[in-house]
Amino acid sequence: MTSIQPDLRREPLRYRLKAFFSKPANLILLAFLIALTVLSLFPMITMLTNMFTVHAGTEKKMLRISVGSWTMNHFQMLFADREWSQANFWTPLLNSLIVASGSGLLGILIGGTVAWFITRSDLKCKKFISAVFVFPYMMPAWTLALFWTNMFQNSKVGGGVVGMMESLFGLCMPEWFVFGLFPMIMVIGLHYSPFAYLLIGGILKNMDATLEESATILKASRFTIIRRVTIPIVMPAILSTFLLIFSSGFASYTVPVFLGSATRTFTLSTKMRALIQAGYEGQGYIIAFVSILLGTLILGVNQYFTGKRKSFTTVTGKSGQVSLVKLRGANGVISAVLILLTLFFAIMPLVSFALESVIKQPGNYSFSNMTLDFWIGTEASAYETGMPDGILMNSTMWMGLFRQVGLALAVAMIVGTCGMLIGYACVRRRGSWLSQIVENLAFFPYLMPAMAFGTIYLAVATSASFKWMYGSFFLLGLVASVKFLPFASRSGVNSMMQIAPEIEEAATIFGVPWVARMRRILFPIQKSAIISGYLLPVINVMREVALFTLLVPYPRYLLTTMLFSFNETGYAQYGSAVTLLIILIIIAINTLVNKLTGASFDKGIGG
Amino acid sequence: MKRLLSLILALTFVLSFAMTASAETVEEALQAASTMTNEELYALAQQEAAAGATLNFYSTTSFAEKAAANFMEAYPALAGKVVYAEIDDGETYSKLTNQIGSGVKDSPDMALVQNGPDLKVNLLDEGLSYNYFPAALADVVPEAYQNPTVVTFINSLMIYNNKEGSVGVNNVWQLVEPEWAGKVFFKDPTNETVNLNFLIMLTSPEWTEKMAAAYEAYYGKAWESTEFESASYQWIDGFLKNVNYTFTSASKIASGIAQGSAGNMGIFVFSKLRKVDENDRPNLTVLQFENDVNCFSGFMYNVYATVCSDTDCPYTCALFINWLLSEEGFGGPKSWNSSQGYYSPNTTINKPEGLEDQAYTYWADKLVFEDLDYIDGLGENYGPIYRFINVRVSK
Repeated sequence: MTSIQPDLRREPLRYRLKAFFSKPANLILLAFLIALTVLSLFPMITMLTNMFTVHAGTEKKMLRISVGSWTMNHFQMLFADREWSQANFWTPLLNSLIVASGSGLLGILIGGTVAWFITRSDLKCKKFISAVFVFPYMMPAWTLALFWTNMFQNSKVGGGVVGMMESLFGLCMPEWFVFGLFPMIMVIGLHYSPFAYLLIGGILKNMDATLEESATILKASRFTIIRRVTIPIVMPAILSTFLLIFSSGFASYTVPVFLGSATRTFTLSTKMRALIQAGYEGQGYIIAFVSILLGTLILGVNQYFTGKRKSFTTVTGKSGQVSLVKLRGANGVISAVLILLTLFFAIMPLVSFALESVIKQPGNYSFSNMTLDFWIGTEASAYETGMPDGILMNSTMWMGLFRQVGLALAVAMIVGTCGMLIGYACVRRRGSWLSQIVENLAFFPYLMPAMAFGTIYLAVATSASFKWMYGSFFLLGLVASVKFLPFASRSGVNSMMQIAPEIEEAATIFGVPWVARMRRILFPIQKSAIISGYLLPVINVMREVALFTLLVPYPRYLLTTMLFSFNETGYAQYGSAVTLLIILIIIAINTLVNKLTGASFDKGIGG
Repeated sequence: MKRLLSLILALTFVLSFAMTASAETVEEALQAASTMTNEELYALAQQEAAAGATLNFYSTTSFAEKAAANFMEAYPALAGKVVYAEIDDGETYSKLTNQIGSGVKDSPDMALVQNGPDLKVNLLDEGLSYNYFPAALADVVPEAYQNPTVVTFINSLMIYNNKEGSVGVNNVWQLVEPEWAGKVFFKDPTNETVNLNFLIMLTSPEWTEKMAAAYEAYYGKAWESTEFESASYQWIDGFLKNVNYTFTSASKIASGIAQGSAGNMGIFVFSKLRKVDENDRPNLTVLQFENDVNCFSGFMYNVYATVCSDTDCPYTCALFINWLLSEEGFGGPKSWNSSQGYYSPNTTINKPEGLEDQAYTYWADKLVFEDLDYIDGLGENYGPIYRFINVRVSK
């Protein structure tokens, strides 16, 4: 007779597994681990293989070998052929680095200065400046680029088309001011300066003012205080902000297209698309890979600096009183300059687009040159520009708008829900390896420039097994959901961190099921943050171009890609009309978010 | 008589059904369609529409939208069943090769495309699309334009701003002189393949010889081998150095030159003059209408119709192509023939009176014509020529 011995090694594992799967947070983390691995790593692997294979079109025509064959030709051309390499890789890379650095510095200079005036001085009209200053950040960056050309193009540069400045004031700016690296830096820098304002302003607002006050008591000059006390304290925030703007500037696609085409100023993003469009897909994928590597490096450096900032926060405490610097006689002048500057870049673009959408001849702003045909023209009255009617009468435009809004809502539902679930699960399992991996995987798409991210999904959708996805609404929804997940997951983690676990535990003891706990307890407590998590992706999708440009079945499929197509093909008035429409929709959504959640961009800083 | 008519009608329908049933593949359906009358095709197209098919077509020329609208007016049972989408030239073949056979909803059933060599290599040779040409037009469309089927020719001409009088260009070698730096406008050839093909065509033996002759006429001495392979390569190098790429589309070039500085010149699609504001239009002069240019004053390229291999409405596609090749289709209200710069391969269709244009034959010895066979036959030599152009455009 043999006795059966229990397997002591297996029993605990079974119990451990049972215990593991009995917790909803673990199930959620496991599901997202699988999903995010597939959605992030699989496209990366596909893209890597595409760097070594022959594609249909130009590559096949040049290499005369069958599609899908392995080749090193893409690397040889891009790096070994000196002239080609210079034109298609090194010069665009240098331009990208210049634009990224310049816009980072400019953004910090403008945003930081305004932040200091708002938080540390007795500046007049603070509330107005603070509210209007963040406006360019709400608008897509490319709208500022279009505004720049509308304003400054003139008879002395490019093709000699007259812009508003020359038309109204006879002012002709030189070519370097209108096209090329300088306007790219200006536009991206101005677009992200509110971002710098929000980050640096937040630090300045919460900074321990006693440090500055102590320096004042010790008779240090105002300049010395700024140099020796204020700047060192906000330095980690400045560096972090610089790197985030640098990263966005480096990845920028639409701004270099609008401002660089005339002078052949390519950046890595514009060259990536140009190469893919010309049929050099393999080389395009290599550039996408380089961009991702650089993005990862930049974010790594940023995390290093962000980590260092923690050491600074230990020395801060909240001072009850902040003594504001008195600007005295300069107050009026500085306020006026800031008001003018903010109005110019916040309100003037809207005026400019409205005007450009109703004039027949660019540069002629007389009443006799105006028409509403570009908006409401019918076949009989439409201005002869190739479009059969005005945009509000055009079914293609309405379909584009319908798809864009539909996509925005679908993505918002997916991203908002996933972000909240990831936030819940990561917070409940804080410190576990699973939680860390999922949180990092969810943040991974943030490292990739939008154009590069679109490119890797293009690689997947053009592979034999996934062709059914190519050009589909599903693909656009999928790629946007993964790309915009980082913000939602971070927001989810932050909001869930504010809820003590005891509240949920109490409900668990009373046997309340998980769904009911979420619906009846956690959601109501964090309603405002959760609604924001759902609505922010709507704004992101409504203004996105670079992510979708390679993936839409045809250029007029979405409103933003339609606009891009209008501007590339010369339908300038239609382009301005659609731009204005997009900005107004974004403002309307933002207002809705504010009304529903009470949140606003500048809350906590302004005035 | 009535009974006879009913019998004929019934027979037509039975035959049509029989043909549909026997046409198992798209290729076979198109083969069958090529010998049918428009009435027969219309009947079959209605059946396709009744079965839920919609003809989605991509086109690089926006006029096709109006042609489709006119088509649906002419065949009212197909109203709403032809859907147009404009596509950029540069991405035409990557979009089509990926969408044909993908099964994605609303993927194209046919396309009107430019750049014949890419059409051949990427679609026709791969079996992703088929050619369709109606046998009834075999006598009025030259054989060279039947496979692949050309639906329209488009020309790009040298056109300049005349605000300060004539630019006095009568030899293409003038355009490589330093005084033209930044004053000649041309769409980026690496983004627009027909522009690229125009430059590639100049490297052909025929055009190399003509370019050398023009060189001799302009400089008074024979072209000698320098750092360039031929006179054509030297001209391309000098020309691209002078090109101003401010405007990214032909429409922008047209309007930009009309509103811009005096003496600026562009090589752009002639038909885009319609997009220039009527007040600016007098500022433009077509160089060829002023004087002959040694050795060309622009170039001519083809727009082809091709039917996707996965279409569920091959007879509707065939009927639509017939329409585009017909007098009514090509010359309908606000359609191709109502504008200058479009020419039908159907030799019975002439340009209407009153347009500032000439017949297709007028341009035969004045423009560089795209030759599908030359470009396709370049083989391994295509790469070096493309590289030569690309690095000069990117600088």
